Amino acid sequence: MNMNLASLAFFAALAITVPSDAMAHASGRGFVLLLPTTTMQWSGAAAVALSFFLLLFIPAHALKALFRERIIARFPFPRVETVISLVSLGFWVALVIIGLTGARDPLANPLPLTVWTLLWVGLTIACAVFGNLWSLLNPWSGLVRLIAARSPLLQLPERIGYAPALIGLLAFGWFEIVDLAPDDPARVATAVSIYWVATLLAMLAFGERAWLERGEFLHVFFEFIGRLAPLRFHRNNGVRVTLSFPGAGLIHSPPPSLSGALFVLIALAIVSFDGTSETWWWLAQLGINPLEFPGRSAVIDQNTSGLFFAAALLSGVFIFSLMLGLSLTRTPPSLRKAICRLALSIIPISLAYHFAHYLIALLVNGQYALAAATDPMATGADFLNLGQFYVTTSFLNTRESVSLIWQVQSGAIIAGHIIAVCVAHHMALDLWRDSRRAAIGQIPLAVLMVAYTFFGLWLLAQPTA
Amino acid sequence: MTDQATPKVAETPVDENRRTLLKGAAAVGAFAAGTQMLPGMVPYIQAQSSEPIKVGFQVHKTGIGAAYGRWYDRTTRAAAKLINDEGGINGREVEIVAEDDGTDPKRGAEVIEKFATQHKTDVAFGTLFSHVVIGSSPRAGELKMPYFVVSEGHHVASGGLNRYTLQPGITDVKSQVQSMAPWVADNLGKKVTMIYPDFAFGHDHRDFFSEAITKQGGEVVAKIAIPPTEKSFTKYFPQIPRDTDVLYHVMVGPAVLTFVKELGEFFGGRGPEIFGFLDSLEAVDINTPGLEFLNGSYFWEGNPRYTSDMSSEHDAFYRKAVGVDDTGASITDSKDIATYSHMFGCWETLHIIKAGMEAADYSGPGDQAKLIEAVENIGVMPHSRAHPQGDKLFNGRTHQSFGHQFISKVEGGRLTPVHKTSIFDGYYPDEVDYTTQKL
Repeated sequence: MNMNLASLAFFAALAITVPSDAMAHASGRGFVLLLPTTTMQWSGAAAVALSFFLLLFIPAHALKALFRERIIARFPFPRVETVISLVSLGFWVALVIIGLTGARDPLANPLPLTVWTLLWVGLTIACAVFGNLWSLLNPWSGLVRLIAARSPLLQLPERIGYAPALIGLLAFGWFEIVDLAPDDPARVATAVSIYWVATLLAMLAFGERAWLERGEFLHVFFEFIGRLAPLRFHRNNGVRVTLSFPGAGLIHSPPPSLSGALFVLIALAIVSFDGTSETWWWLAQLGINPLEFPGRSAVIDQNTSGLFFAAALLSGVFIFSLMLGLSLTRTPPSLRKAICRLALSIIPISLAYHFAHYLIALLVNGQYALAAATDPMATGADFLNLGQFYVTTSFLNTRESVSLIWQVQSGAIIAGHIIAVCVAHHMALDLWRDSRRAAIGQIPLAVLMVAYTFFGLWLLAQPTA
Repeated sequence: MTDQATPKVAETPVDENRRTLLKGAAAVGAFAAGTQMLPGMVPYIQAQSSEPIKVGFQVHKTGIGAAYGRWYDRTTRAAAKLINDEGGINGREVEIVAEDDGTDPKRGAEVIEKFATQHKTDVAFGTLFSHVVIGSSPRAGELKMPYFVVSEGHHVASGGLNRYTLQPGITDVKSQVQSMAPWVADNLGKKVTMIYPDFAFGHDHRDFFSEAITKQGGEVVAKIAIPPTEKSFTKYFPQIPRDTDVLYHVMVGPAVLTFVKELGEFFGGRGPEIFGFLDSLEAVDINTPGLEFLNGSYFWEGNPRYTSDMSSEHDAFYRKAVGVDDTGASITDSKDIATYSHMFGCWETLHIIKAGMEAADYSGPGDQAKLIEAVENIGVMPHSRAHPQGDKLFNGRTHQSFGHQFISKVEGGRLTPVHKTSIFDGYYPDEVDYTTQKL
């Protein structure tokens, strides 16, 4: 199992370093239908279930040792945060201008490629390895530090929790999954500009830190994903670099509020629904023939409902599994405490879904991003000296490459769930403070995770429109 | 084998429709030939404006058409480059303004609107998927924007659209299907079983082919409609009658590979002759493991993927320009198979826009009606660099081109063309006369 996962991780890493194209291919899943997907679904779910049972026999101290963070380096960090953020701001201003005036083709214009491929897919994966890089790269902090008063004008009320970030996340998810033309460069430029101005005003009003931590959905998302990183960079009088088993940051950082826990669950629900909405199964529910999919405009209402229903369903099932677990044990922790703590154990699953769902888009659109980088204004320039460069999607049309991609995706789903089970078990030991009660109390959550493994692998095996 | 490069009018019985069509075609054909046969030698015309000719390219960059859109884009860019290298159109540079329609009809109509009001393009061009054409065409008509589609759909010639929508660079499915019948009846057999997906696409094949094979003295002995969401097909094969000579299949979508594999397992190398449409395997390597069963079977091809002794110098020129090798793959990735049966339509349509603009002495959006009339009168388009797939005949009344089709045999891991149809094998009577509509 370990060897298997290690080799899959290696291939995954290899795959993401090769820049590659594309959107849904009508026959892209044709080869997947020839693969032994059902066997993988059952064996993947069984592997996660087995991991849970094995964990019950591992002494608590051994598990705690596994998740211990070890300092591997310290170095002084020059005070360049402001400069980095200002450079990033300049980069985004240039991108928005290109979005408004450059190529109209979304796969030739660098703005939509940066937002949907480099930021939403690439940076998420980078944050899962190196921690929250967005805290350095965001295009507001530098400017706010230059122009804002030392203390904020207003206090961001505690009781609203992560509500602004939640609204931002849902709006972003809706734009991606439901909007008629989320790749249109001018549309993306408008959306980015509105969001940038709104965020800047909010930071000036409520303070940079407070708004980043609970209001700016990208920072909140990358912060949660960053806690999964095996390599973490702690900035405080220089930089302290720690190395640990993936997920240690989830265990050792303070739990979020209830709305923060909801943010985590809804982030997973959005990616899960994005995958579901492309399947023949979903189209059958809508009475649509997948071989003549009528286009996004025909499913706006249905997918809007589906997105919100998915968010409510996943949150509901998660909370119900915890309620059930708590009811099985004596002297349980409070439900609120359990939700806030254990929601973070979902993050490895969230990352796994993110990686598996977007891998093909990354392989295809990464190539378009490279082509756009060499010729950002579509003037025929070749700054990167690529020469005649054609985007290819041949890896979606040969059995060997489709099989490899599918194995990497499945491996990521299984590995993400196994890490989630380990993290959840550690958290349960902390919550119940008793091995036996912790084991019993987390059974319903473990069942949910096994079921979600099966669901994730089922999604990857479905024909899509 | 028939290989008619140009229609032999005198030897072919023609109906009244065809006679009228050819009469008009003969008059304008000579002009069209003169302007298109010698690319590179187009006389320099003093441009009335230095502004580029803007071609609004409605392209499926995202959504279900994206795999085709990528090759349509590549072909269009190559054609525009060639036209510009040879002096542009009426001395003006061609600028491609690509807008993604998301393979969505509503977005398609919005894109047409953007071409007209925001980008102020001279024409709109390049749409493949039928539902996007049908969704966009009314807006193009309202805005009086010449809309050149490359869709294969019968919706143009059936009369459902309007005078501003034309399909001059690619034949339609009715013509393609009909033109297969004579060769299939003569060479594979007269008793045909059809297997098709049970929705409009499959029904078109069923209806057009049933009618055409009957005219050849053949018959469809069984029609097996497969639900579009079916993922396993073995249970349908016992419905194939034992006396079937030819199995005609047009399965599409992700399950087509499973279909071929299960068909192979069912017959085990013994069974009827098999004929299909390459739409099923467009952009898929014919040497893919699991497709061995296709060996010895036949496919319709719009433009032969592999070069052969039937290939022309014009095809060689076109292949090189779009970066496709002798096996139909990208020159930079031998596994990246082009949508070769369809994408030539973009190349040819762009050259027809050029020929039409030159014939109309087009100077700007005020001349769009003149452009429509010029293209309606374009008639015969000779086999040339501008038309590397073969010569064509444009019916100005129905706004639809007629051309040659190919039948290829799968052998030795290649698709080898064994027959080229005559243009009139695919010809059918007019169903509309768009020229009666006001411009």
